[in-house]
Amino acid sequence: MVNSADCLKNTDEQLVELSLTNPEYYWCLMNRYEEKLLHYILKISSLSKEDAEDILQEVFIKVYENLNDFDLSLKFSNWIYRITHNITISAYRKKRVNPQLLSWDYEELNNLIDSTSNIENVTIQNQTYEKILEIINHLPLKYKEVLILKFLENKDYQEISDILHKPMGTIATLLKRAKNLLQQELIKEGIKI
Amino acid sequence: MSKISNQVLKIIKDNEIKPKPRWYFLTKNYLIWLFFGISIILGSIAFSMILFITRQLDWDIYRYLGESWLKTFFISLPYLWLIFLLIFLGVAYYNFIHTRKGYRWKIFSILCISLITSIILGSLFYTGGFSENLENIFQKKLPYYPQLIYTWEKQWMQPERGLLTGTIKEVDLSQQNKFILLDLNNNLWEIEATNALWKGKLTPYPGLKLKIIGKMKDTNIFEAQEIRPWSGEGARRGAQKEHP
Repeated sequence: MVNSADCLKNTDEQLVELSLTNPEYYWCLMNRYEEKLLHYILKISSLSKEDAEDILQEVFIKVYENLNDFDLSLKFSNWIYRITHNITISAYRKKRVNPQLLSWDYEELNNLIDSTSNIENVTIQNQTYEKILEIINHLPLKYKEVLILKFLENKDYQEISDILHKPMGTIATLLKRAKNLLQQELIKEGIKI
Repeated sequence: MSKISNQVLKIIKDNEIKPKPRWYFLTKNYLIWLFFGISIILGSIAFSMILFITRQLDWDIYRYLGESWLKTFFISLPYLWLIFLLIFLGVAYYNFIHTRKGYRWKIFSILCISLITSIILGSLFYTGGFSENLENIFQKKLPYYPQLIYTWEKQWMQPERGLLTGTIKEVDLSQQNKFILLDLNNNLWEIEATNALWKGKLTPYPGLKLKIIGKMKDTNIFEAQEIRPWSGEGARRGAQKEHP
Protein backbone atom coordinates (compact mmCIF):
# COMPACT_ATOMS: atom_id res chain seq x y z
CA MET A 1 0.00 0.00 0.00
CA VAL A 2 1.36 3.40 -1.01
CA ASN A 3 1.45 5.93 1.80
CA SER A 4 1.56 9.75 1.80
CA ALA A 5 5.33 9.77 2.21
CA ASP A 6 5.74 7.74 -1.01
CA CYS A 7 3.54 10.27 -2.74
CA LEU A 8 5.50 13.25 -1.48
CA LYS A 9 8.94 12.02 -2.45
CA ASN A 10 8.01 11.61 -6.13
CA THR A 11 7.38 14.20 -8.81
CA ASP A 12 4.30 14.03 -11.03
CA GLU A 13 6.33 12.58 -13.89
CA GLN A 14 7.88 9.90 -11.63
CA LEU A 15 4.42 9.03 -10.33
CA VAL A 16 3.18 8.59 -13.91
CA GLU A 17 5.95 6.04 -14.52
CA LEU A 18 5.21 4.25 -11.26
CA SER A 19 1.44 4.26 -11.88
CA LEU A 20 1.94 2.31 -15.08
CA THR A 21 2.99 -0.72 -13.06
CA ASN A 22 1.21 -0.06 -9.79
CA PRO A 23 -2.17 1.76 -9.76
CA GLU A 24 -1.67 2.57 -6.07
CA TYR A 25 0.75 5.29 -7.15
CA TYR A 26 -1.95 6.74 -9.33
CA TRP A 27 -3.83 7.49 -6.15
CA CYS A 28 -1.02 9.93 -5.26
CA LEU A 29 -1.53 11.81 -8.50
CA MET A 30 -5.29 11.89 -8.09
CA ASN A 31 -4.98 13.04 -4.53
CA ARG A 32 -2.54 15.78 -5.57
CA TYR A 33 -4.90 17.20 -8.20
CA GLU A 34 -8.36 16.38 -6.86
CA GLU A 35 -9.07 19.67 -5.14
CA LYS A 36 -7.48 21.87 -7.81
CA LEU A 37 -9.32 20.17 -10.64
CA LEU A 38 -12.67 20.15 -8.87
CA HIS A 39 -12.23 23.86 -8.30
CA TYR A 40 -11.33 24.35 -11.97
CA ILE A 41 -14.33 22.33 -13.23
CA LEU A 42 -16.70 24.34 -11.07
CA LYS A 43 -15.22 27.61 -12.29
CA ILE A 44 -15.35 26.98 -16.02
CA SER A 45 -18.61 25.06 -16.15
CA SER A 46 -20.79 26.53 -13.38
CA LEU A 47 -22.10 22.98 -12.89
CA SER A 48 -23.31 21.67 -9.53
CA LYS A 49 -20.76 20.12 -7.18
CA GLU A 50 -22.21 16.63 -7.75
CA ASP A 51 -21.91 16.98 -11.52
CA ALA A 52 -18.38 18.34 -11.15
CA GLU A 53 -17.44 15.31 -9.05
CA ASP A 54 -18.83 12.97 -11.70
CA ILE A 55 -16.77 14.77 -14.32
CA LEU A 56 -13.65 14.56 -12.19
CA GLN A 57 -14.16 10.82 -11.78
CA GLU A 58 -14.42 10.48 -15.55
CA VAL A 59 -11.28 12.62 -15.93
CA PHE A 60 -9.24 10.45 -13.57
CA ILE A 61 -10.27 7.25 -15.34
CA LYS A 62 -9.52 8.72 -18.75
CA VAL A 63 -6.14 10.04 -17.58
CA TYR A 64 -5.26 6.60 -16.18
CA GLU A 65 -6.23 4.85 -19.41
CA ASN A 66 -4.12 7.32 -21.39
CA LEU A 67 -1.07 7.45 -19.12
CA ASN A 68 1.12 6.07 -21.89
CA ASP A 69 0.16 9.03 -24.05
CA PHE A 70 1.67 11.51 -21.60
CA ASP A 71 4.59 13.33 -23.20
CA LEU A 72 7.39 13.67 -20.65
CA SER A 73 8.60 16.85 -22.34
CA LEU A 74 5.40 18.55 -21.14
CA LYS A 75 4.22 19.21 -17.61
CA PHE A 76 1.84 16.62 -16.20
CA SER A 77 -0.28 19.35 -14.64
CA ASN A 78 -0.89 20.92 -18.08
CA TRP A 79 -1.79 17.56 -19.51
CA ILE A 80 -4.30 16.69 -16.80
CA TYR A 81 -5.79 20.20 -16.97
CA ARG A 82 -6.14 19.75 -20.73
CA ILE A 83 -8.09 16.51 -20.34
CA THR A 84 -10.20 18.02 -17.56
CA HIS A 85 -10.94 21.04 -19.72
CA ASN A 86 -12.06 18.90 -22.67
CA ILE A 87 -14.30 16.61 -20.65
CA THR A 88 -15.80 19.51 -18.71
CA ILE A 89 -16.59 21.58 -21.79
CA SER A 90 -18.12 18.57 -23.49
CA ALA A 91 -20.29 17.79 -20.42
CA TYR A 92 -21.21 21.45 -20.02
CA ARG A 93 -22.38 21.64 -23.64
CA LYS A 94 -24.39 18.45 -23.28
CA LYS A 95 -26.13 19.57 -20.12
CA ARG A 96 -26.74 23.19 -21.18
CA VAL A 97 -27.16 24.15 -17.57
CA ASN A 98 -28.17 27.54 -16.27
CA PRO A 99 -24.93 29.03 -15.06
CA GLN A 100 -24.55 29.28 -11.35
CA LEU A 101 -22.75 32.17 -9.79
CA LEU A 102 -19.01 31.70 -9.73
CA SER A 103 -17.28 31.56 -6.42
CA TRP A 104 -14.11 33.60 -6.76
CA ASP A 105 -12.72 34.84 -3.51
CA TYR A 106 -11.85 38.48 -2.93
CA GLU A 107 -8.15 37.98 -3.51
CA GLU A 108 -8.68 36.25 -6.89
CA LEU A 109 -11.09 38.88 -8.02
CA ASN A 110 -8.79 41.68 -6.87
CA ASN A 111 -5.95 40.16 -8.92
CA LEU A 112 -8.10 40.21 -12.02
CA ILE A 113 -9.49 43.71 -11.50
CA ASP A 114 -5.97 44.95 -10.71
CA SER A 115 -4.82 43.75 -14.11
CA THR A 116 -7.77 45.29 -15.98
CA SER A 117 -7.70 48.59 -14.12
CA ASN A 118 -4.99 51.20 -14.37
CA ILE A 119 -5.04 51.72 -10.63
CA GLU A 120 -2.94 49.45 -8.48
CA ASN A 121 -4.20 47.78 -5.31
CA VAL A 122 -7.88 48.13 -6.06
CA THR A 123 -10.29 47.29 -3.28
CA ILE A 124 -13.63 45.93 -4.38
CA GLN A 125 -16.65 47.03 -2.43
CA ASN A 126 -18.96 44.34 -1.08
CA GLN A 127 -21.94 45.38 -3.19
CA THR A 128 -19.93 45.30 -6.43
CA TYR A 129 -18.33 41.90 -5.75
CA GLU A 130 -21.36 39.88 -6.82
CA LYS A 131 -22.04 42.14 -9.77
CA ILE A 132 -18.51 41.62 -11.10
CA LEU A 133 -18.85 37.86 -10.67
CA GLU A 134 -22.06 37.95 -12.65
CA ILE A 135 -20.34 39.86 -15.46
CA ILE A 136 -17.45 37.38 -15.57
CA ASN A 137 -19.92 34.53 -15.54
CA HIS A 138 -21.67 35.89 -18.60
CA LEU A 139 -18.50 36.39 -20.63
CA PRO A 140 -18.13 34.06 -23.63
CA LEU A 141 -16.46 30.78 -22.62
CA LYS A 142 -13.28 31.44 -24.64
CA TYR A 143 -12.65 34.58 -22.57
CA LYS A 144 -13.82 33.16 -19.28
CA GLU A 145 -11.49 30.16 -19.51
CA VAL A 146 -8.35 32.23 -20.13
CA LEU A 147 -9.23 34.56 -17.26
CA ILE A 148 -9.77 31.59 -14.95
CA LEU A 149 -6.52 29.89 -15.95
CA LYS A 150 -4.53 33.09 -15.64
CA PHE A 151 -5.96 34.59 -12.47
CA LEU A 152 -7.39 31.67 -10.56
CA GLU A 153 -5.07 28.87 -11.54
CA ASN A 154 -2.07 31.22 -11.88
CA LYS A 155 -0.91 29.60 -15.11
CA ASP A 156 1.55 31.33 -17.39
CA TYR A 157 0.99 31.78 -21.15
CA GLN A 158 2.86 28.60 -22.09
CA GLU A 159 0.84 26.57 -19.61
CA ILE A 160 -2.46 28.06 -20.81
CA SER A 161 -1.36 27.33 -24.38
CA ASP A 162 -0.70 23.68 -23.46
CA ILE A 163 -4.05 23.36 -21.69
CA LEU A 164 -6.23 25.03 -24.31
CA HIS A 165 -4.16 23.77 -27.27
CA LYS A 166 -3.84 27.23 -28.78
CA PRO A 167 -0.66 29.11 -29.76
CA MET A 168 0.76 31.50 -27.15
CA GLY A 169 0.06 34.51 -29.38
CA THR A 170 -3.62 33.54 -29.50
CA ILE A 171 -3.67 33.19 -25.71
CA ALA A 172 -2.21 36.69 -25.32
CA THR A 173 -4.83 38.08 -27.72
CA LEU A 174 -7.68 36.28 -25.97
CA LEU A 175 -6.53 37.51 -22.60
CA LYS A 176 -6.26 41.09 -23.82
CA ARG A 177 -9.72 40.95 -25.39
CA ALA A 178 -11.18 39.31 -22.27
CA LYS A 179 -9.81 42.10 -20.09
CA ASN A 180 -11.07 44.78 -22.49
CA LEU A 181 -14.49 43.18 -22.61
CA LEU A 182 -14.61 42.94 -18.85
CA GLN A 183 -13.62 46.58 -18.53
CA GLN A 184 -16.32 47.63 -21.01
CA GLU A 185 -18.94 45.60 -19.16
CA LEU A 186 -17.89 47.13 -15.84
CA ILE A 187 -18.26 50.62 -17.30
CA LYS A 188 -21.62 49.71 -18.85
CA GLU A 189 -22.86 48.51 -15.46
CA GLY A 190 -21.62 51.72 -13.88
CA ILE A 191 -19.04 49.99 -11.73
CA LYS A 192 -16.19 52.36 -11.02
CA ILE A 193 -12.97 50.88 -9.76
CA MET B 1 -7.99 9.80 2.06
CA SER B 2 -9.93 11.90 -0.41
CA LYS B 3 -13.30 10.76 -1.65
CA ILE B 4 -13.03 10.81 -5.45
CA SER B 5 -9.46 9.47 -5.56
CA ASN B 6 -10.49 6.48 -3.44
CA GLN B 7 -13.55 5.81 -5.56
CA VAL B 8 -11.55 5.94 -8.80
CA LEU B 9 -8.81 3.69 -7.43
CA LYS B 10 -11.51 1.18 -6.44
CA ILE B 11 -13.09 1.36 -9.91
CA ILE B 12 -9.67 0.81 -11.53
CA LYS B 13 -8.96 -2.22 -9.36
CA ASP B 14 -12.46 -3.74 -9.48
CA ASN B 15 -12.76 -3.37 -13.24
CA GLU B 16 -9.12 -4.22 -13.85
CA ILE B 17 -8.72 -1.09 -15.96
CA LYS B 18 -5.29 -0.92 -17.56
CA PRO B 19 -3.55 1.98 -19.31
CA LYS B 20 -3.71 1.64 -23.08
CA PRO B 21 -0.36 0.35 -24.44
CA ARG B 22 2.32 2.79 -25.53
CA TRP B 23 2.42 1.38 -29.07
CA TYR B 24 -1.20 2.42 -29.52
CA PHE B 25 -0.33 6.09 -29.01
CA LEU B 26 2.95 5.84 -30.91
CA THR B 27 1.13 4.34 -33.91
CA LYS B 28 -1.52 7.05 -33.73
CA ASN B 29 1.17 9.73 -33.62
CA TYR B 30 3.19 8.22 -36.47
CA LEU B 31 0.03 7.90 -38.57
CA ILE B 32 -0.72 11.59 -38.11
CA TRP B 33 2.82 12.46 -39.27
CA LEU B 34 2.50 10.01 -42.14
CA PHE B 35 -0.76 11.60 -43.30
CA PHE B 36 0.86 15.02 -42.93
CA GLY B 37 3.78 13.86 -45.13
CA ILE B 38 1.44 12.34 -47.71
CA SER B 39 -0.58 15.58 -47.85
CA ILE B 40 2.60 17.58 -48.42
CA ILE B 41 3.73 15.23 -51.21
CA LEU B 42 0.30 15.34 -52.88
CA GLY B 43 0.32 19.13 -52.52
CA SER B 44 3.78 19.18 -54.13
CA ILE B 45 2.51 17.08 -57.04
CA ALA B 46 -0.42 19.50 -57.45
CA PHE B 47 2.05 22.40 -57.47
CA SER B 48 4.30 20.69 -60.00
CA MET B 49 1.26 20.20 -62.26
CA ILE B 50 0.35 23.88 -61.91
CA LEU B 51 3.92 24.78 -62.82
CA PHE B 52 3.99 22.44 -65.81
CA ILE B 53 0.63 23.51 -67.22
CA THR B 54 1.17 27.25 -66.75
CA ARG B 55 4.71 27.16 -68.14
CA GLN B 56 3.42 25.48 -71.30
CA LEU B 57 1.06 28.37 -71.94
CA ASP B 58 1.99 31.55 -73.77
CA TRP B 59 1.04 34.43 -71.54
CA ASP B 60 1.62 37.19 -74.09
CA ILE B 61 -1.04 36.21 -76.65
CA TYR B 62 -3.76 38.24 -74.94
CA ARG B 63 -2.47 41.14 -77.06
CA TYR B 64 -3.40 39.31 -80.27
CA LEU B 65 -6.79 38.26 -78.95
CA GLY B 66 -7.76 41.76 -77.89
CA GLU B 67 -8.29 40.63 -74.34
CA SER B 68 -7.00 41.99 -71.07
CA TRP B 69 -4.08 40.25 -69.38
CA LEU B 70 -6.27 39.63 -66.34
CA LYS B 71 -8.94 37.83 -68.39
CA THR B 72 -6.31 35.63 -70.07
CA PHE B 73 -4.82 34.96 -66.64
CA PHE B 74 -8.10 33.84 -65.10
CA ILE B 75 -9.09 31.74 -68.14
CA SER B 76 -5.74 29.99 -68.15
CA LEU B 77 -5.37 29.07 -64.47
CA PRO B 78 -5.34 25.32 -63.83
CA TYR B 79 -8.20 25.46 -61.33
CA LEU B 80 -8.42 21.71 -60.82
CA TRP B 81 -4.84 21.55 -59.55
CA LEU B 82 -5.21 24.76 -57.58
CA ILE B 83 -8.19 23.23 -55.79
CA PHE B 84 -6.17 20.06 -55.10
CA LEU B 85 -3.27 22.15 -53.78
CA LEU B 86 -5.61 24.00 -51.41
CA ILE B 87 -7.25 20.75 -50.27
CA PHE B 88 -3.89 19.09 -49.54
CA LEU B 89 -2.68 22.19 -47.71
CA GLY B 90 -5.83 22.03 -45.60
CA VAL B 91 -5.35 18.32 -44.90
CA ALA B 92 -1.68 18.94 -44.02
CA TYR B 93 -2.73 21.70 -41.60
CA TYR B 94 -5.38 19.46 -40.01
CA ASN B 95 -2.85 16.67 -39.46
CA PHE B 96 -0.13 19.00 -38.21
CA ILE B 97 -2.28 20.58 -35.49
CA HIS B 98 -3.13 17.06 -34.32
CA THR B 99 0.52 16.19 -33.75
CA ARG B 100 1.68 16.38 -30.13
CA LYS B 101 2.85 19.99 -30.20
CA GLY B 102 1.20 21.14 -33.41
CA TYR B 103 -1.21 23.40 -31.53
CA ARG B 104 1.70 25.65 -30.55
CA TRP B 105 2.01 26.84 -34.16
CA LYS B 106 -0.10 29.56 -35.70
CA ILE B 107 -2.31 28.63 -38.64
CA PHE B 108 -0.44 31.15 -40.80
CA SER B 109 2.96 29.61 -39.99
CA ILE B 110 1.74 26.05 -40.63
CA LEU B 111 0.18 26.98 -43.96
CA CYS B 112 3.27 28.98 -45.01
CA ILE B 113 5.65 26.12 -44.16
CA SER B 114 3.41 23.58 -45.93
CA LEU B 115 3.12 25.81 -48.99
CA ILE B 116 6.85 26.55 -49.17
CA THR B 117 7.63 22.82 -48.83
CA SER B 118 5.10 22.04 -51.57
CA ILE B 119 6.65 24.71 -53.81
CA ILE B 120 10.21 23.39 -53.29
CA LEU B 121 9.25 19.72 -53.73
CA GLY B 122 6.88 20.57 -56.58
CA SER B 123 9.64 22.45 -58.42
CA LEU B 124 11.88 19.40 -58.04
CA PHE B 125 9.14 17.14 -59.41
CA TYR B 126 8.70 19.56 -62.32
CA THR B 127 12.43 19.74 -63.04
CA GLY B 128 12.66 15.95 -62.96
CA GLY B 129 9.92 15.66 -65.60
CA PHE B 130 7.50 13.98 -63.21
CA SER B 131 4.68 16.47 -63.81
CA GLU B 132 5.06 16.16 -67.59
CA ASN B 133 4.78 12.36 -67.45
CA LEU B 134 1.82 12.58 -65.10
CA GLU B 135 0.08 15.13 -67.32
CA ASN B 136 0.57 12.86 -70.35
CA ILE B 137 -0.87 9.89 -68.45
CA PHE B 138 -3.85 11.91 -67.18
CA GLN B 139 -4.54 13.38 -70.63
CA LYS B 140 -4.61 9.90 -72.16
CA LYS B 141 -6.10 7.75 -69.42
CA LEU B 142 -8.27 9.92 -67.19
CA PRO B 143 -11.79 10.46 -68.53
CA TYR B 144 -12.97 14.10 -68.41
CA TYR B 145 -9.50 15.30 -67.36
CA PRO B 146 -8.69 16.98 -70.72
CA GLN B 147 -11.94 18.96 -70.51
CA LEU B 148 -10.99 20.30 -67.08
CA ILE B 149 -7.54 21.61 -67.97
CA TYR B 150 -6.77 24.59 -70.16
CA THR B 151 -3.65 23.34 -71.94
CA TRP B 152 -1.41 25.07 -74.43
CA GLU B 153 -3.00 22.86 -77.12
CA LYS B 154 -6.40 24.36 -76.31
CA GLN B 155 -4.88 27.82 -76.19
CA TRP B 156 -3.39 27.46 -79.67
CA MET B 157 -6.16 25.50 -81.37
CA GLN B 158 -8.44 28.49 -81.92
CA PRO B 159 -8.10 29.23 -85.66
CA GLU B 160 -11.26 31.36 -85.70
CA ARG B 161 -9.57 33.58 -83.08
CA GLY B 162 -6.26 33.66 -84.97
CA LEU B 163 -4.29 30.94 -83.18
CA LEU B 164 -3.19 27.70 -84.80
CA THR B 165 -0.68 24.99 -84.03
CA GLY B 166 0.53 21.82 -85.71
CA THR B 167 3.28 20.18 -87.73
CA ILE B 168 4.47 21.15 -91.21
CA LYS B 169 3.51 18.41 -93.66
CA GLU B 170 4.76 19.93 -96.89
CA VAL B 171 6.78 22.97 -97.95
CA ASP B 172 6.29 24.46 -101.37
CA LEU B 173 9.89 24.67 -102.57
CA SER B 174 9.05 27.24 -105.23
CA GLN B 175 7.33 29.44 -102.66
CA GLN B 176 9.12 29.26 -99.32
CA ASN B 177 6.39 31.33 -97.76
CA LYS B 178 3.68 28.75 -98.24
CA PHE B 179 3.40 25.42 -96.49
CA ILE B 180 0.87 22.81 -95.47
CA LEU B 181 0.26 22.33 -91.75
CA LEU B 182 -1.40 19.41 -90.04
CA ASP B 183 -3.11 20.75 -86.91
CA LEU B 184 -3.68 18.85 -83.65
CA ASN B 185 -7.14 17.77 -84.81
CA ASN B 186 -5.61 16.23 -87.96
CA ASN B 187 -6.95 18.94 -90.30
CA LEU B 188 -4.74 20.19 -93.10
CA TRP B 189 -4.20 23.94 -93.48
CA GLU B 190 -2.62 26.00 -96.19
CA ILE B 191 -0.49 28.58 -94.47
CA GLU B 192 0.39 31.83 -96.17
CA ALA B 193 3.44 33.27 -94.49
CA THR B 194 4.50 36.03 -96.88
CA ASN B 195 4.34 38.77 -94.27
CA ALA B 196 4.96 36.58 -91.25
CA LEU B 197 7.54 37.24 -88.60
CA TRP B 198 9.48 34.05 -87.95
CA LYS B 199 10.56 33.91 -84.32
CA GLY B 200 13.51 31.81 -83.25
CA LYS B 201 15.23 31.88 -86.67
CA LEU B 202 13.14 29.04 -88.05
CA THR B 203 13.38 27.58 -91.51
CA PRO B 204 10.33 25.58 -92.53
CA TYR B 205 10.80 21.88 -93.14
CA PRO B 206 8.38 18.96 -92.93
CA GLY B 207 8.00 17.77 -89.38
CA LEU B 208 8.67 21.16 -87.78
CA LYS B 209 6.13 21.94 -85.06
CA LEU B 210 4.86 25.48 -85.02
CA LYS B 211 2.55 27.89 -83.26
CA ILE B 212 1.04 30.48 -85.56
CA ILE B 213 -0.66 33.79 -84.83
CA GLY B 214 -2.64 35.19 -87.72
CA LYS B 215 -6.03 35.21 -89.38
CA MET B 216 -8.26 32.50 -90.79
CA LYS B 217 -8.93 33.60 -94.34
CA ASP B 218 -11.07 30.76 -95.55
CA THR B 219 -11.81 27.17 -94.63
CA ASN B 220 -8.39 25.64 -94.12
CA ILE B 221 -6.51 28.72 -95.30
CA PHE B 222 -4.64 30.67 -92.65
CA GLU B 223 -2.62 33.84 -93.04
CA ALA B 224 0.28 33.88 -90.61
CA GLN B 225 1.50 37.07 -88.95
CA GLU B 226 3.85 35.53 -86.44
CA ILE B 227 5.31 32.04 -86.33
CA ARG B 228 6.81 30.58 -83.17
CA PRO B 229 8.50 27.29 -82.42
CA TRP B 230 6.89 25.02 -79.90
CA SER B 231 8.09 25.97 -76.45
CA GLY B 232 8.40 23.98 -73.26
CA GLU B 233 10.56 21.00 -72.47
CA GLY B 234 8.24 18.42 -73.99
CA ALA B 235 7.56 20.43 -77.11
CA ARG B 236 11.26 21.11 -77.65
CA ARG B 237 12.04 17.45 -77.27
CA GLY B 238 9.25 16.61 -79.72
CA ALA B 239 10.51 19.14 -82.26
CA GLN B 240 14.11 17.93 -82.06
CA LYS B 241 13.01 14.36 -82.54
CA GLU B 242 11.32 15.16 -85.83
CA HIS B 243 14.12 17.37 -87.14
CA PRO B 244 15.42 15.85 -90.42
